[in-house]
Amino acid sequence: MKNLYLPITIDHIARIEGKGGVEIVVGDDGVKEVKLNIIEGPRFFEAISLGKKVDEALAIYPRICSFCSAAHKLTAVEAAEKAVGFTPREEIQALREVLYIGDMIESHALHLYLLVLPDYLGYSGPLHMIEEYKKEIGIALDLKNLGSWMMDELGSRAIHQENVVMGGFGKLPDKSVLETMKKRLKEALPKAEYTFELFTKLEQYEEVEGLITHIAVKPRGDVYGIYGDYLKASDGNEFPSEEYKEHIKEFVVEHSFAKHSHYHGKPFMVGAISRLVNNAGTLYGKAKELYEAHKDLLRATNPFANNLAQALELVYFTERAIDLIDEVLAKWPVKPRDEVEIRDGFGVSTTEAPRGVLVYALKVENGRVSYADIITPTAFNLAMMEQHVRMMAEKHYNDDPERLKLLAEMVVRAYDPCLSCSVHVARL
Amino acid sequence: MEENGKVRIGFYALTSCYGCQLQFAMMDEILQLLPNAEIVCWYMLERDSKEIEPVDIAFIEGSVSTEEEVELVKKIRENAKTVVAVGSCAVHGGVQSWEKDKSLDELWKTVYGDGTVKFQPKMAEPVEKYIKVDYKIYGCPPEKKDFVYAIGTLLIGSWPEDIDYPVCLECRLNGNSCVLLEKGEPCLGPVTRAGCNARCPAYGIACIGCRGAIGYDVAWFDSLARVFREKGLTKEEILERMKIFNAHNPKLEEMVNKIFEGVKE
Repeated sequence: MKNLYLPITIDHIARIEGKGGVEIVVGDDGVKEVKLNIIEGPRFFEAISLGKKVDEALAIYPRICSFCSAAHKLTAVEAAEKAVGFTPREEIQALREVLYIGDMIESHALHLYLLVLPDYLGYSGPLHMIEEYKKEIGIALDLKNLGSWMMDELGSRAIHQENVVMGGFGKLPDKSVLETMKKRLKEALPKAEYTFELFTKLEQYEEVEGLITHIAVKPRGDVYGIYGDYLKASDGNEFPSEEYKEHIKEFVVEHSFAKHSHYHGKPFMVGAISRLVNNAGTLYGKAKELYEAHKDLLRATNPFANNLAQALELVYFTERAIDLIDEVLAKWPVKPRDEVEIRDGFGVSTTEAPRGVLVYALKVENGRVSYADIITPTAFNLAMMEQHVRMMAEKHYNDDPERLKLLAEMVVRAYDPCLSCSVHVARL
Repeated sequence: MEENGKVRIGFYALTSCYGCQLQFAMMDEILQLLPNAEIVCWYMLERDSKEIEPVDIAFIEGSVSTEEEVELVKKIRENAKTVVAVGSCAVHGGVQSWEKDKSLDELWKTVYGDGTVKFQPKMAEPVEKYIKVDYKIYGCPPEKKDFVYAIGTLLIGSWPEDIDYPVCLECRLNGNSCVLLEKGEPCLGPVTRAGCNARCPAYGIACIGCRGAIGYDVAWFDSLARVFREKGLTKEEILERMKIFNAHNPKLEEMVNKIFEGVKE
């Protein structure tokens, strides 16, 4: 007699950004189907920005996602600047990277402590951990507060910053604020290192071990960072950002408002671990030492290593922000903004959002957006993520369904998906 | 309320950027609230969330953007004593309503081509379109103090009051130079609900109206449209800007049309 299997369904994956579920269908010969249902409604960002004035379009793009609104703002602004043929001064670029790092610190701290850690410690959510894990929750809040405050000061607020505009910033903080920022970053460093230590102890779940192609931005100036004009794949391929469409193809899948992406016909991964896989050679300072000492845990073959990679980046970016602030202070006073002439043109910006490669391609005609293509890290990751959930399910479909559900969710959480982000992909 | 005296709270998301929840989650003040509250549903932070259970206060973020979400808001309403719409998406339909007058089909084709998806998409709409909303927290995202004020008053059994004056007022009180009159930029401060302490104009950035237009018919879209027109903006440009966060406002077009159609105001 045939066994009776019920589909294992998670309607709403908790502790991620956005709304999505998992469906696992098991048959007699094992796992038949695994689907990540992205049920967050469509918001048509590219479509609604078409024909709009550039500055107004730049104001709405960050609203794609709150967890990485600074990433969206800064990438969109750079694409628009490239389109009109404007390059910001070095000190403006440095300050923008500091703002971006604020987002990175906040996002990584939030993801690691509040979204990921509860699974490992046996809690359903961080609110229940407060009594038992006072120190960890305290560090999470301190790091997230630091990141938010950096975005407040440089971006006007922690979510949906309006202070970044084409040509520079609306206004810059006083020199004393940057000095305080430096001091606070220095104080945060031991907390970032504690986070890394903590995450070296977590399980890697070898069930999902296998070859993964990683894609990341090739950092400008060969220093590990956020901005870059080339994309780099772990198969050795390197290409200019403008050529992204020649290598990465997107397609609509029936079970998701977010599209899937393939690199040369196959799923691939982006994110903190992908950055390390491709660019670890450009690390420096304490993070480099930690990387060398824990290489074996930061495995290219395991998506769970993304958690530890984020923890390493907390250390790296804290140090990096200090250096960038020093560069800017050496040139103080800094003029906040240059006049930008809005000419016609096309620009592509690729940056490293907390969750991985973010692409903005914008065309400007008569001061208005005439083409917009935005591809977010989560949209890049979905196909690979689905494959990893399948690998987990294939090993555990005979276990207690509750256990399988948790493991499937943990795979998804390791990717730190931003589902709101993922549902705005355009094909024109 | 629970027998243990705790207030039962649910935080629900429709289609949005999750920024209102993130703002809420990022408040250290939450820690003070926790001993007196039972978090029944909050998927962003709690795996053990229950979407369909009675709560005292339901906070809803996001616009109604799928048929499934229409059903969800109705269920939330049935199970909640007080419903609070949180943020510009839930209150005003959000930036995703910017092109609400285009057909859904056209927008769909631009983004998804001929692809089909098994869920039913809809043009984004405010929560109030489908259920009774008891209170609104404005902003994209709301200010932290908006949450503190709303929760504080609801918990003591009182009622949070709306602000009925514009961003302009806060801006003048802070002594910022005027982005509209002195720099000639299309600032929406004069029609936008205050409460942000004129955050953007303080950075020299024109207000884009993220808290939505002031209620009680106090938002004078017509007067502002006249100023914009004098500065050389066309009717379409004025409407485009005012619609970023106000596309569902029933007064907007009528008032702006007045200025351009020569009707005596």
